[in-house]
Amino acid sequence: MSIFDIWLGILQGLDVTATVTGYGLLFAVPFALIFGVAQYLAKGAVLFAVTCIIEFWRSSAVIILLFVFYYALPVVGLMLSAVTVSAMVLGLNIGGYASQAVRAGLQSLDRGQKEAGQALGLSRSMILLLIELPQALVAMSPTFVNHFIQLVKATALVSLVTLTDMTFRAKEIAQIEYNPVGIYTSLLLAYFVVCYPIAILGRLLEARISSGRELARGL
Amino acid sequence: MREQSPDMATEISGLNKWYGSFHVLKDIDLTVAAGSRIVICGPSGSGKSTLIRCINGLETYQGGSIALGGVKLGDNAKETTLARRDTGMVFQSFNLFPHLTVLSNCTLALRRVLKMSRRQAEDIALHYLEKVRIPEQAKKYPAQLSGGQQQRVAIARALCLSPRLMLFDEPTSALDPEMIKEVLDVMVSLASEGMTMLCVTHEMGFAREVADQVIFMDQGRIVEQARPDIFFGAPSHARAQQFLEKILH
Amino acid sequence: MGFDLSFALSTVPTILGAIGTTLLVALISCLGAAGIGFGFEMLRRSGGLSGYAVRFLIDFIRATPVLAWLYFLYFVLPFYGIRLGALTVGILGLSVYFSGYLAEVFKAGIDAIPKGQSEASRAVGLSRIDTIIFIIAPQMLRNIAAPLGNYFVSILKATPYLAVLAVPEMLGQAFDIASDTYRYAEPLTVAGILFLLLALAISQAVKRVETRLLGSNRR
Repeated sequence: MSIFDIWLGILQGLDVTATVTGYGLLFAVPFALIFGVAQYLAKGAVLFAVTCIIEFWRSSAVIILLFVFYYALPVVGLMLSAVTVSAMVLGLNIGGYASQAVRAGLQSLDRGQKEAGQALGLSRSMILLLIELPQALVAMSPTFVNHFIQLVKATALVSLVTLTDMTFRAKEIAQIEYNPVGIYTSLLLAYFVVCYPIAILGRLLEARISSGRELARGL
Repeated sequence: MREQSPDMATEISGLNKWYGSFHVLKDIDLTVAAGSRIVICGPSGSGKSTLIRCINGLETYQGGSIALGGVKLGDNAKETTLARRDTGMVFQSFNLFPHLTVLSNCTLALRRVLKMSRRQAEDIALHYLEKVRIPEQAKKYPAQLSGGQQQRVAIARALCLSPRLMLFDEPTSALDPEMIKEVLDVMVSLASEGMTMLCVTHEMGFAREVADQVIFMDQGRIVEQARPDIFFGAPSHARAQQFLEKILH
Repeated sequence: MGFDLSFALSTVPTILGAIGTTLLVALISCLGAAGIGFGFEMLRRSGGLSGYAVRFLIDFIRATPVLAWLYFLYFVLPFYGIRLGALTVGILGLSVYFSGYLAEVFKAGIDAIPKGQSEASRAVGLSRIDTIIFIIAPQMLRNIAAPLGNYFVSILKATPYLAVLAVPEMLGQAFDIASDTYRYAEPLTVAGILFLLLALAISQAVKRVETRLLGSNRR
């Protein structure tokens, strides 16, 4: 088996990696938005409950969460496919981290922004949707890109619950061919080829946002 | 322009506010008649900003009442929101929305609160941007404007909702000296058109020229309330005298 | 087959017994990552060809999953005749992976020191070495204390990855029990709960140490 064959073999797992990432986003994005905003707005018992849920997802080790949900849910009668469980666990874990960026982005806005909205007679939800969230999300977009990369990388875990992603393919190939250097170097490179362009995109975003900030400060 | 009639007056009576144990506003009684122009001055911490922030509901208060054109403010959120639409607020730090163009800053409330069409809202916004002499900047973002220009946009944004009462919270104190005049000029022409105005400012030249009453606040109380010629000529309270001496020299 | 609570409770002592290994792995890996990361940052600052090489290596590490690194080291090192235990390989893997992140922490920590500090130090007659030891290093340590603490928690949360190399940390112990008893849900759930409690406790402790360290001498 040539290095080229190894590469092709690993890339056959790219669709599973992409699928889990995509479904993961379906969990991560709503969770981050809803819980980040809730932590920003809520008070008292609701705030405590919201914080507990966020902390559960982001303070646990994602690999343990994956196994717990994969093995424990069927025991309590909940049968979910490996893809669903993986997307949910990986997505909510990253969503937990991203919710903190949403909250921090909202909290770091100048208080005057909310007040100006109130003075114009906008309702609280309009102020959130039209004034606070757009600014917070743009300011935090480089952080979201980093979280997205973490999500793509975390999908390597699904190889442990029988899904045939790139990592799983590499291990399969390793069983029929003794070429650890070629196989595992190719595996690292495969993730690099996927994630590095995203990282570059994140850097461009960050440069644009900070130059915008300097413009605002300079005038 | 909306018609101004006496029942549009703003009535503040027995207003009291605490921050924890700190008594910020003490028994404030004030009537702002339609068409009147009142300047509030006083040392920092005297409660003057807090007072006008109470009028449009940005601050809550614990005693007394505020009524805008007969509508009592405060108890329920819906009425507070309605009352806010009747007042325009201009902040010290402009508080323009940086992610929106100048034009969108002005049309936002027209479209979202008053549900106007884009055309209609933009016509109104451009009208007021002309009034503050800045229509050519409509497509720019706030960060591309000077401080004086930003504050004029903020005034236009507030005017778009045709408020009965304009509140100014130290509108020129965050500005470089060379930009203060362009903002004051806009305020002077607003006053000459009969806008009801309540201004917290230390621009005593403006007060002399425009105000029909000057209020001096100290330690949460209205200490002196007088016509500007009397206030600047012979203030009756020692504190007001000291304050004027400091600020005029 | 439901969830057997008494069986779950019986696994607690065994899994709890692995906390020592978990903490030890986290601590050594953190030191290793800090050491390699600091070395990376010094090389990057020195510029030249090695500077560029290190820059690429850091980007590469940050774009690849920790699991792929563990497999890479575990299977590739023996190929070159380097035989290390699973524990050592695991610690090495976490150290390499997190060094890419800690290099950035050191970079930010050094960049944040005003240039005038070293100039002023030289102006009062301190030598270059003294400037580093007495002026730059203390300020850098203060700047990196908080992010370093956060990365210690991140490394802690990555320690269960070593279970795939059969290292007997908490998740590894849980899998040992599972493969002996053919019951997965209970030991994994216990590992999940205990690990979450550990992670929460450690991150609280880190926060407390931070405020004590930074509270007193922050400007």
